[in-house]
Amino acid sequence: MSSVDHDSPATTRWVYSFEDADPDDVALLGGKGAGLSRMSRAGLPVPPGFIITTRACAEYVATGKLPAGVTEAVRAQVATLEQKTGRTFGGGPLPLLVSVRSGAPVSMPGMMETILNLGIGHDAAVALAGATGEPEFVLDVTRRLQKGFSEVVLGSDPDVVDGAVANFALPAGGAPFAEMFDRYWARCRQAVEDDVGAAVPADPWAQLRVAVMAVLRSWNSQRAITYREHHHISHDMGTAVVVQTMVFGNLGSPSGAGVAFTRNPVTGERALYGEFLEHGQGEDVVAGVADPETIAAAAERTPEIFGELARIAKNLELAYGDALDIEYTVERGKLYVLQVRSAKRTPEAAIRIAADMLRDGRLRPSAAVAGVSADHVRWVERPRFDQADLEKARADGAVVAAGIGASPGQVAGSLVLDAERAVERAKAGRELILARPTTSPRDLHGLIAAAAIVTARGGATTHAAVVARALAKPCVVGCRDMSIDEKRRTLSAGERVLQEGDAVSIDGGAGELLVGSVRLSRVGAGGADLSLLMDRSDAASGCTVLARVTTPAQARTALERGAAGVLTSIDDVLATTGQLVNLLEAAVRRGSGDGALTEMHEAVAEAFTPLLTALNGVDIDVGAIDARSDESGGLVPQALLDDAPQLLLPMGDPDMLRAEMGGLALAAERSGYGSTPRLVVRHVSDPIEARTIRRLGEELAEGRRLAVGSYLTSPRAVIRAADLAEESEVMWIDVRAVQEAMFGIPTSQLLTSEPLDGYLRRGMLAVDSQSDIDSVTYELLEAVAEVRKGRPGCRIGMRVRGRVSDAVAARLHGLGFRLFAVDPHELRVARLALGKAAWK
Amino acid sequence: MTRTEFEVLNVIVLKGMCRTRAVAEVLALPESAVEETVATLERGDLIGRVGELLVPTDAAEPALVAFAAAAYGDLRCDAESDRLHERFEKINAQLLHAIAAWQQIDVGGHKVANDHSDRNYDEKIITRAAKLVERLKRITGALGDHDPRFLRYGERFDAALDRVDRGEREYLSSPGLESVHDIWFEFHEDLLRSLGKARTE
Repeated sequence: MSSVDHDSPATTRWVYSFEDADPDDVALLGGKGAGLSRMSRAGLPVPPGFIITTRACAEYVATGKLPAGVTEAVRAQVATLEQKTGRTFGGGPLPLLVSVRSGAPVSMPGMMETILNLGIGHDAAVALAGATGEPEFVLDVTRRLQKGFSEVVLGSDPDVVDGAVANFALPAGGAPFAEMFDRYWARCRQAVEDDVGAAVPADPWAQLRVAVMAVLRSWNSQRAITYREHHHISHDMGTAVVVQTMVFGNLGSPSGAGVAFTRNPVTGERALYGEFLEHGQGEDVVAGVADPETIAAAAERTPEIFGELARIAKNLELAYGDALDIEYTVERGKLYVLQVRSAKRTPEAAIRIAADMLRDGRLRPSAAVAGVSADHVRWVERPRFDQADLEKARADGAVVAAGIGASPGQVAGSLVLDAERAVERAKAGRELILARPTTSPRDLHGLIAAAAIVTARGGATTHAAVVARALAKPCVVGCRDMSIDEKRRTLSAGERVLQEGDAVSIDGGAGELLVGSVRLSRVGAGGADLSLLMDRSDAASGCTVLARVTTPAQARTALERGAAGVLTSIDDVLATTGQLVNLLEAAVRRGSGDGALTEMHEAVAEAFTPLLTALNGVDIDVGAIDARSDESGGLVPQALLDDAPQLLLPMGDPDMLRAEMGGLALAAERSGYGSTPRLVVRHVSDPIEARTIRRLGEELAEGRRLAVGSYLTSPRAVIRAADLAEESEVMWIDVRAVQEAMFGIPTSQLLTSEPLDGYLRRGMLAVDSQSDIDSVTYELLEAVAEVRKGRPGCRIGMRVRGRVSDAVAARLHGLGFRLFAVDPHELRVARLALGKAAWK
Repeated sequence: MTRTEFEVLNVIVLKGMCRTRAVAEVLALPESAVEETVATLERGDLIGRVGELLVPTDAAEPALVAFAAAAYGDLRCDAESDRLHERFEKINAQLLHAIAAWQQIDVGGHKVANDHSDRNYDEKIITRAAKLVERLKRITGALGDHDPRFLRYGERFDAALDRVDRGEREYLSSPGLESVHDIWFEFHEDLLRSLGKARTE
């Protein structure tokens, strides 16, 4: 009577053992079931079990009745488990205990949670006590069953069971276990019944039936229904039920449970890493009930077990193509694998693992880099303290107060002591570090305005910590020695007294407030591993990525970080020297004289010479003066625009444009730039404009040369791209500007620059144009892609402002675009995203 | 101060700064009714304005404290109020841990920002939070016997969790919205003031 087969042509098969199931049939088995099936069939030491299919659930939900044949099939599968394990369900000499889990094909909320230790009834408990010689163990298993079942299935308060048996003493005499068990069970039962008016069934088969039915019913829990409707998932899908043999890490020796990572999740080092809780169960590890030891330590005691685990880890990594975490249990020296998932990892580890996998070469590049996200790269690229400077500051006694690092990040700024002042001073563009005794709701706006927060009281779960993490700002809490005097506007800690406005630095990871400004590091972190990812991404994508910069220093930094060139604009560069407005005013009021334009010509030449020198021949694309540029954030006063509306048109003042071109070309000559700079005019949308630009370019003095063209920002322009391309050597498309024109929402809102009100008014988050390109814009870009194919001589680039998402990169790369310009902090994010797009 | 004035002022103090519309939504009252009360409170120098935002003055909290002491005298004498407070502190600690786990994942002893790519992990936390909200509702239910305004908290939580279930994950813990965490934090302040107790952290 081994595996009773109900697979006759007339009857549907409702239940499969792990080995019999087809692991690819996720729709039938659910995610968990399919995973367990796969591992079993691969020969991994998975505790045996069976799966009641989603089809059974769908039938049940449709008809209100369990389909005919399910009960028999389940009994047959239990019989098979008994054979495989040598145990007996509901009895002795060795009882079989099982876990019951839900597992839909798609993860969703509202599904019933796992029930463990099912199968304890009077006979089974007595047999188990006899077989193990450990009555306390059996009572503990009973408690766990009562607690879990009553909470998950009956809805009771999780503490009532523990409360009921807290002082249950095992009688000193030699009272038969059967009696003890009955009393223990009765206590639990009473507590649960008092709480919710129901009880855990005493009969193991009833426990199994009730649990299975509860899983099936949870398919239609309110939350699951809401979720499916919102995500357009069919209500007919159903969930599977996974029933699996329990193994006990808290029985016998060597026994225990833990989680192993196939690589160090903090550093990414290629070594088995993790914990082992001796004589513990999996749920104890999760609950943090006791302190586990490291796998390294445990491996010294039982090398064969951990050797096997290491071998399994290696093979699994290759099979899954990813670093993994493995939940495992050791029961009396036998290793079991319970669950395998993609391992969580720090950003640093993610980069190192991806680099190692690329170097190793056994995985496809797309698999190797799948574990590195854009946010990982952003995190590693974020401004941080120069380590040497930080250490020196610490050594010099700069640490004013220490507490709990509740939210990581390193920021230097000026000290501020209440929320209102923070809001005020933030308007002046200062980086502020807000210090408060504790947080109250009043402080929220100060927290939003400040760059970092430090509080005297509180712990890692305090309101300040929650808000800081939500805002991704550094936060230190619980600086006990710190006190704030709002009247005197001072902060005292120990002997030190700081004034509001003093320069301070905060390290949210280490939990320290320092006096003075620690210098920021110029070098991005990530080292050789990140460089490898970048090089391989560039090679795969074949893309050229420029950085949007304004100063020579920014240009140098961008080049150091692998930018292939820079994009800038004349108005931005002139604004950094404070000349823009004066030059524009003079140009506007020039009348018939030439003097003002000559001045502009020279100013542009002078401003661009250092920048071009820094570039050493690397690509530079420059936007001509754009008086209404929202990239520069309104540099030109409205009054001037009112007087000179021609500034708002791309070709409103051709003579001024000629002067700009001349200045740029002169700068190239003076700096010995060695290559041809490019000049593009923003907002062009008509081929005649483009032709005029081209002709102006041709008028440059002998020996001076620029490539010229347009910078498109409107849908009209993009629609006419083909005609514009005929007249332009270079064409940039500002993707966000085009989207903004489509949506009618200002770019500043699309890029979430977090003004106070915008933050409070969250409705606009529903428009997530940051993460993808809308279909209408996409169609327009498809047409541009065609233009690009037809005109290989025209340089066509995509300007992507703000965050670069994988989806946007994939879409643009997929269309064939290979030239991009992004904000400096997104440079490496973009390169990786383009590499991923190429490898897909 | 009338009861309505107390309730409106209470919301403004708990939120720190808010618009009239937000107060109306919290109290489930028409905006026009709230506007009238707001005008009265302004005249009484208990709130001020910063643009469209209503801001409590320094006199606001003491006024609330005084009102609560008078209005909740019988609640404070009832031994049950201590039990309610104890029960709350217990689930409060659990909710804050759940929120912390939502925001940061433990990776080998290091805390890493949750990028919400693991739906199973997220779902477990939302389920935990939902259960804790259910337990909180038993507490607000008991308080509701003394003052029905406490029952509004349960409705606000349900609305927030509903949005979370619809995929608007920020309604679990993001500040500045009617998120589960924000409502919970406000309730905590409200409870302490109503019971006349101080924060334990």
